[in-house]
Amino acid sequence: MELVPDYPVETERLQLRPFCRGDVEAVYAYRCREDVTRWLIDAPMTREAVAEIIQARVGQSSWTRNGDSIFLAVDNRADKATVGEVSLIQRSAEHRQAEIGYIFHPDVQGQGLATEAGRALMSLAFDNAGVHRVYARCHAENEASRRVMERLGMRREAHFREHVLVKGRWDEELVYALLEDEWRLQSAR
Amino acid sequence: MTSLQLPIHTDRLALRYFEKSDLDHVVAYYALPEVQRYLDWKARDRVEVKAALDAMCQQRRLNRPGDTLTLAVCRQSDDNMIGQVALRWTDATASQAELRFVFNPLFRRQGYATEAVKAAIDIGFQHFNFHRIFARCGADNQRSARLMKAIGMRLEAHYREHALFNGEWDEELHFAVLDREWKRLAKVREVPHRMVA
Repeated sequence: MELVPDYPVETERLQLRPFCRGDVEAVYAYRCREDVTRWLIDAPMTREAVAEIIQARVGQSSWTRNGDSIFLAVDNRADKATVGEVSLIQRSAEHRQAEIGYIFHPDVQGQGLATEAGRALMSLAFDNAGVHRVYARCHAENEASRRVMERLGMRREAHFREHVLVKGRWDEELVYALLEDEWRLQSAR
Repeated sequence: MTSLQLPIHTDRLALRYFEKSDLDHVVAYYALPEVQRYLDWKARDRVEVKAALDAMCQQRRLNRPGDTLTLAVCRQSDDNMIGQVALRWTDATASQAELRFVFNPLFRRQGYATEAVKAAIDIGFQHFNFHRIFARCGADNQRSARLMKAIGMRLEAHYREHALFNGEWDEELHFAVLDREWKRLAKVREVPHRMVA
């Protein structure tokens, strides 16, 4: 699958753009927090670790080969503050499957920003890249993330219990998904 | 892990390793279109079934993740082969295994599949100490889904159009059971009927 978006991708209140090296401080501001990382595979990060993942993500902003991933910084359009990050990962080119992910600073929670960014990712996946199914995953107790998936019109497809150890503890995971037909129905409304 | 003592006997069945001499028995069910439609391993004739059987004959140990143990299921009364059960060790740190099973439609409606699958799960939890055993089936594979539900596995996932299978969008169910859940279910089974009544 191919996807080379025109950046920045703009929504009503946000802009999604490729990472740059200057993003370390803004990303560290939420990646260092226990209340953010408790739901992630990653543990709280040091500034150095954040610099490393950003280094790896600079340039990961298009799908030109099978298996490519897109990682984007999300800015508030009003004040240009970086409030979070999103991902759009090719899981199978053969089966046209992709996964979306999002992490936002707790200070901006409750404003529907993740949903707004998620909708932009869905549009990239379905309208531009020809993806057939988009899925997302979260920890079973991560209410905020679960609600985002529901607001995006995704259906719950799975509830896995103790299927994997994450940070030494049994994980419980929800999987939500949306098919291209379902996306078109939603968009037509 | 210590090796399994085989055969394992249930009330009416015996579970043992596959032998190359089992080919006729395996061809009898494995190549049937109504069986093949649900299987990943395509084997439509004797030659292709022989290749599948050769692989199954090798699947005798769970030494490392990725290994599969496949057992033939035979009826004790007449040694007829009912089908097969398998456990694949998928994850070492989280101690997970995938259960697979295939049965000959000729022997349906007598509870043999249920008896054999329960025995396979017992082996997984008691002998190999897995934490969780899961199984997948096509959403249109009603018999397998009913069986797993009936023995107390939970439906954990219902994927829609997550992959192309035989050129069509596939719909897949995942069932799972944890070791402690299985122990609880076993205790319920042990209570004699007269005590429940």
